[in-house]
Amino acid sequence: MSTPSLTAMPPRRRRRPNWAALALGAYVVAFLGFIVAPIAAVVLVSFSSASFITFPIPGYTLRWYWRIIEYRPFLDAMLVSIEVALASTVLAAALGVPAALALARSRGVPAALVSNFLLAPITVPAIVLGLALLYFLASLSFGLSFTALLIAHTVAGIPYVTRTVLAVYRSLPPDLEEASAVLGATRWQTFRYTTLPLVRPGVFAGGLFAVLTSLDNLPLSFFFGSASTSTLPVVMLSYMENQFDPSIAAVSTVQMLVAIVALVVTDRVYGIEKLTAA
Amino acid sequence: MTTVKADPVPAALAEPAPARRRGTPYRLASSSWTVPVMVFLGFFFVIPLGANLWRSVATGDALVHGPFAFYAKLLGDAYYAGILAETLKVGVIATLASLVVGYPVAYFMVRYAGRWNGLIVFLLIAPLLTSIIMRTFGWRVLLARKGPVTLLLHDWGLIARPTNLADDPIAVYVALVHVLVPFMVLSIVAVLQQVDVRLEESSRVLGAGPLATFFRITLPLSLDGVATGCILVFVVTNGSFLTMLLLGGGKVTTLSLLIYQQFNVAQDTGFAAAMGNLLLFMALICLALQARFLRREGVKA
Repeated sequence: MSTPSLTAMPPRRRRRPNWAALALGAYVVAFLGFIVAPIAAVVLVSFSSASFITFPIPGYTLRWYWRIIEYRPFLDAMLVSIEVALASTVLAAALGVPAALALARSRGVPAALVSNFLLAPITVPAIVLGLALLYFLASLSFGLSFTALLIAHTVAGIPYVTRTVLAVYRSLPPDLEEASAVLGATRWQTFRYTTLPLVRPGVFAGGLFAVLTSLDNLPLSFFFGSASTSTLPVVMLSYMENQFDPSIAAVSTVQMLVAIVALVVTDRVYGIEKLTAA
Repeated sequence: MTTVKADPVPAALAEPAPARRRGTPYRLASSSWTVPVMVFLGFFFVIPLGANLWRSVATGDALVHGPFAFYAKLLGDAYYAGILAETLKVGVIATLASLVVGYPVAYFMVRYAGRWNGLIVFLLIAPLLTSIIMRTFGWRVLLARKGPVTLLLHDWGLIARPTNLADDPIAVYVALVHVLVPFMVLSIVAVLQQVDVRLEESSRVLGAGPLATFFRITLPLSLDGVATGCILVFVVTNGSFLTMLLLGGGKVTTLSLLIYQQFNVAQDTGFAAAMGNLLLFMALICLALQARFLRREGVKA
């Protein structure tokens, strides 16, 4: 930014339009079109009256949204997806938040190693994690069950919750908790009434990431897909392998709306800027 | 611990602030709070991956032809070696394409966007709210035989007659760049923000052209962000198979897709485990590279 300089430079570069910047701006507009285009196309096609892909759209209909309700696997899978996403995130938070609280105030090599260990599942390709977990849980004889799906998604969710809570808690001074303790609160009371409200934005931000990742985690979910434990992406993929009609577009649009609602609710409660800060 | 903390209170009355600062800060959580998550991950993360390693060297063919039979097959057999090469090729092309497409956007965001910056960030992050299936399906729609992109390219005379471009390998790269370029842009923006614009201005004042300034000043100074973005994009590309499954007409087969297909068709557990380990190994190499970059940055700072 141009700070008022001591030598009082004349206002240079203001006169002629900056062609390079304009060209760059035009490029960025085209780029944003590229980013939005496939999503807009899906939303548009979900209202198309044609049962195959054709442009321009011949007419508009809501029948592909009816199809979601008619075709049971979509609805069932959507419920499984939401259950798994919420349950695994709660479990990941229950496991990850206390650990993050302990690690944030610890120094030294062991604490750093443990922190890295808790973040490690993020670095393992989901397809590898899914494969390994399926074989392992199958050997314990519950390979294709809701429990297996829940365990897999919890492993994948722990890094997200741990990371944001670590970041938020590290930035907090210990004074408030100390004050709480000095004033006679028990450790539980301090945790419940002082620490938890302070780190709650971190828990929610990490939880939101974990939920969104879980909802879309096809490489992890498809290993555990049986009739009762198939998540939405798994069912959508098998549907697409057999037929290609706009009902996939309708399901996608509904799924996107669910995610947007989750984001808006989180924003109303805690503010988006806190999510991106961590 | 609470009693130990309560002790300095009389001292604090005598000499308030400094006395407390010197002691160790109050700690709510003891290190035992990490035990549950360690046990959980030990059981459901470490053991399964360890068992996977074991399975790849001590089951099926590995018992007959020696522990590294599966790996020898992966690296020695022409078909599988070809898939490995394809995996690396797709990763490198997708990474370079994301870099070339994304760098100008990052530069614009840092230098010119101003009040539009928030909107650009939003549009970059918004696709993360949609499923990867939706985005892939979107490209199938756009690139379909009667899709808008195909019709447009035909109108402009760039393709002789409308065909289903979604089944062309180019669709795989387009869709991969679409999914990955936001990560690249945001990685570069984070570093570019710290590059002082006055360095570029000095370069121009001293007579360098805009291109020379870019390649000799801006680009070298933002290399850390470029490296972070490239490694991230490369790792994610290696792990994704949905794009290759739904686009490209089955002409682009990578290691991840092969694992998916092997799992669905032939249940050769040992071989699937070996392929997974190879993929994991590639991801770990990339992480080690990234750790080196980050450490170098730390030394500089």
